[in-house]
Amino acid sequence: MSKGLGSQSRKTEENSMDEIVNVEAVSRRFSLDTAPTRHSARTFVSALTSANMSVSAGEFLAISGPSGSGKTTLLNLIGCIDRPTSGRILVDGVDTSQLKPNGMSKLRRERIGFVFQTFNLIPVFTAAENVEYPLLVQGVAAGERRARVAEALESVGLSDRAGHRPDLLSGGERQRVAVARAIVHRPALVLADEPTANLDTHNATQLIDLMHGLNRRLGLTFIFSTHDARLLEHTERIIRLTDGEVVSDSSAQGGSHE
Amino acid sequence: MSKFLLLAFRNVFRNRRRTLMTLFMVGGGVAGLLLVGGFFAYMYNGIREGSINNGLGHLQIFTSEHFTRDEVRVLDTGIDNWREVAARVKTGAHVRGIAPRIEFYGMVSNGVKTSVYMGSAVDPEAEKSLGFVTKITSGHDLDSKPSGEVEALIGSGLAKSMNVQVGDGLTVLAMTSDGALNGVDVEITGIVNSGMKEYDDRYLRITLPSAQRLLQSDRITNLVVGLDATKNTDSVYEALAPELRGQPQKLVLKKWIDLATSYNQIHSLFNTIYLFIGVIVFFMVLMSSVNTLLMSMMERTREIGTMLAMGTPRLWIIALFMTEALLLGALGAAVGLVAGNLLASVIDFVGVQLPPPPGSTEAMKFYVFHVPALMFASSLLVILSMVLASILPAIRASRLQIAEALSHV
Repeated sequence: MSKGLGSQSRKTEENSMDEIVNVEAVSRRFSLDTAPTRHSARTFVSALTSANMSVSAGEFLAISGPSGSGKTTLLNLIGCIDRPTSGRILVDGVDTSQLKPNGMSKLRRERIGFVFQTFNLIPVFTAAENVEYPLLVQGVAAGERRARVAEALESVGLSDRAGHRPDLLSGGERQRVAVARAIVHRPALVLADEPTANLDTHNATQLIDLMHGLNRRLGLTFIFSTHDARLLEHTERIIRLTDGEVVSDSSAQGGSHE
Repeated sequence: MSKFLLLAFRNVFRNRRRTLMTLFMVGGGVAGLLLVGGFFAYMYNGIREGSINNGLGHLQIFTSEHFTRDEVRVLDTGIDNWREVAARVKTGAHVRGIAPRIEFYGMVSNGVKTSVYMGSAVDPEAEKSLGFVTKITSGHDLDSKPSGEVEALIGSGLAKSMNVQVGDGLTVLAMTSDGALNGVDVEITGIVNSGMKEYDDRYLRITLPSAQRLLQSDRITNLVVGLDATKNTDSVYEALAPELRGQPQKLVLKKWIDLATSYNQIHSLFNTIYLFIGVIVFFMVLMSSVNTLLMSMMERTREIGTMLAMGTPRLWIIALFMTEALLLGALGAAVGLVAGNLLASVIDFVGVQLPPPPGSTEAMKFYVFHVPALMFASSLLVILSMVLASILPAIRASRLQIAEALSHV
């Protein structure tokens, strides 16, 4: 559990000790008006409507749905990089709606790892430095940083590419570096937004196997958005979204998605 | 910390062309400030040393009443025991020599016309030993031990006004200490042209004994102290001032800078001009850097969003942008220092001549001094300007909405 996040935001429910994420009636609306006037009513679009879901520790969960269905919005909300319009989200026992911006930042820093569709590596850093970055932000000592970076790179099979900058790595390698960066600080939860969307089949399959292996070996919780059938085949649980609404949850249906 | 600096340093060289342009601009500003400031420093030096060597000296000793005196009876407030004072001062460290002077006023007549003069009585040998130069256009300098007539040098304007030339005679009149009007006949031995009209229209110089005879007094108005170097002025002043205060007659010591009115005016004017140039460079760097740093921030929107998503404190983002600006400013300053000093050396080597300044007939050399204080100040100026320019982009970057930044194209 992260330290210093504030007792007021601590999880109070006792019956969900192994729940890593709990989404309760969460909605998210966005204003379409860039500069609304005093006399005109604001126009809103609803990206997510009254979503409910819970994720247990160690799950390998896919959020699926067509473009614009609200997958990224839901991931952003779970990842504390956006706030819901209504409802609340508990992450690792912390009610994120009670957190101030610094608390959200601390929660992301210590408990969540991110993998992005476009890798989002820092181009002027080497693979090892990119992986080291979350530890640097956490203030981990240099010696420990080195050991954990080596371990993370080894776990994604890129020890020999540690000194290469992102522009010298293939797309698959970049995404593996991004995965190493997401797990290096031992988060409670890894969020991946369309992680295979920019990869060819070979690299996508490798990445899926890698993430699945980390999930099994380290017990890491993975939540990712995807409409990649290759990835969905490896997933134990799929939550389907359509037009901002959760339309199905395979776990609720007895895991019969396959 | 080192990784943070490494990130900032590498970010500086991310867009090399833009960084080069910024370095060129910042460096150009520093080099420009060094060239202008170095030339001004050369000019100040020329005026300062010119004033000192034209007779001002490094230090002057007066009685404390000198500056509130009645200008008619000038020696009423003169120095009594000036020979002892001079002998004592002469033994001090860095003192090259001492020249006694009498500054006096009165009327001069050629029998037909009378005019006002500003007189200066000197010991020609002492003046020469200190290297004080009088620009004599015709005739010769005063003889320290004249055999016959009292000798006089007069300004070119006064000579023209009185219609006299070298070899002609004049009667010099002045008020003695007891209030009587006294006069001596002088023979003009030389015409002086200092280049300053107001000065040459009233200039008259005679020897010290002649003036003492005219003014009926053994006193002098001031002692001019010449040092081995101008930089020693303050230390000699500190050593001499207490000693002079202990004299039976209360004496005061003045530094050349307290007496060089025109130098101070020129110094003040050109310092203001330099300050103005500095302000222009400051804002030039500031305005163009704001744009450059904003562009850099926009290009890195997604990356900043990623950093924020990973829990990077917003203050880190501000610090990162400001550090990048500081590094850019420091590198630009280094480029400017190298370029400015190289250019200055080339200019000094080639020897560029400028047209004569107003009131002078001599061409002026465009020479540039290498001034460490200017190098430090101009570097600090551009670094400060760059850091200030980074505040807006840094704050904007730190306030990015993460979700929007991550979807930025």
